[in-house]
Amino acid sequence: MPSILVVEDNQDNAELFRRVLISRGFEVRLAPDADNGLQMALERQPDAIVLDLGLPDADGQTLAGWIRRIPALAATPIIVCTAWPEATARQMVEAYGCNGYIPKPINVARFADQIAGFLPQGQN
Amino acid sequence: MVVLPVPALTETAVRLVPANQFSIEQLTQAYNQTRVDYVVPMPMNAARLAEYVRTYDVDLSASVVAMDGNEMLGLAMLGVRPHAAWITRLGVLPAARRRHIGRALMEALLTISDERRLPLTLLEVIKNNVPAYNLFVQCGFQPKSEMLVLRRPPGPPAHVPEGDVELLEREGALALLSERSDFETWVTATDSLRNVDSLQALQVRLADGSRGWLVFQIQKLRLLPLLLTRFTLHTQAGEPRYVAEALLSFLYMLFPDLDTQVENVALNEPHLPAMLDLGFIEAFRRIEMYRVCPGL
Repeated sequence: MPSILVVEDNQDNAELFRRVLISRGFEVRLAPDADNGLQMALERQPDAIVLDLGLPDADGQTLAGWIRRIPALAATPIIVCTAWPEATARQMVEAYGCNGYIPKPINVARFADQIAGFLPQGQN
Repeated sequence: MVVLPVPALTETAVRLVPANQFSIEQLTQAYNQTRVDYVVPMPMNAARLAEYVRTYDVDLSASVVAMDGNEMLGLAMLGVRPHAAWITRLGVLPAARRRHIGRALMEALLTISDERRLPLTLLEVIKNNVPAYNLFVQCGFQPKSEMLVLRRPPGPPAHVPEGDVELLEREGALALLSERSDFETWVTATDSLRNVDSLQALQVRLADGSRGWLVFQIQKLRLLPLLLTRFTLHTQAGEPRYVAEALLSFLYMLFPDLDTQVENVALNEPHLPAMLDLGFIEAFRRIEMYRVCPGL
């Protein structure tokens, strides 16, 4: 069962992501901020990380930069999920070594498939 | 509990209460709730908001929270310095909008600013936030300048020039800031930087005689260095772009693993081209606005 770490401070969004991803058969863990997100990723390596850019303790970009420095997590797909304008979001995704971008609000019918598309073959 | 007059409000149920009547945790929760639907929400935890209040001289006794019963509907904060005030963290919960609460919060802060005879009140608004911009214009504000918020992902510089470099701790950084004469916003003002504990500086002298300095802060999460921020670049001799490229190259040679965020860079800042050369990218823009105290 693929494991997805969702780093999202908005509880409503986080719960929505969790429900949608669980319905697809993913295991989901929620982190409300960058500190917890980093700790949880280190404790048990997820198969993918869904990352909000606006977090209350450190920005999502900063967290992505840190995750990419950790050898065990360097190749873990990071999917940015944000309401930022698309052009800016895509620029941040590329600059910070993330793997993709999904705009908020999410399309509930497509979200799990979008995340699955970032997982390695055989895990999606 | 102190209740302030609410000139813009027609609803008697809503009252404005000084923000110092609430805990920092309550203010943080209210602030975050006002931003949940923003494109760039910039949420904070209590520690960050407390640091923000301290760094920017926010006077919580002069800041206000809109209440309906026990429910917080919105808030606005006022930074106060001897010759100016600064309105910040203004927001109204989505469900409470279109009830003139934002206008009431603004008027309360402007009343306080005017009563203290502060000549100037400043604020910043994210570019393209049209409803907020229009509210500020209605309250007497005029646009002053457009500013960039920039990011640079971690990474070493492409090359490092020849030169003598010195790394200075906080006292040295503060001494350098006394040389400033350039454009300052509230956030980047020396008065703000004096309130920051972990300032450092790089001072450089290049082979051709060019020289300058860079003041910066390394922000930490727990004890982990995370972010370079609060940049002030200053050229003492030579071409600003050349000096800034050297300073930034030395900085990223020393701290290649750190992310960077720099706020409120003016479009005409002479060191901006060097920042772009070193890989900075634009996150978003702000407009600084000002209002002169009536009668002064």
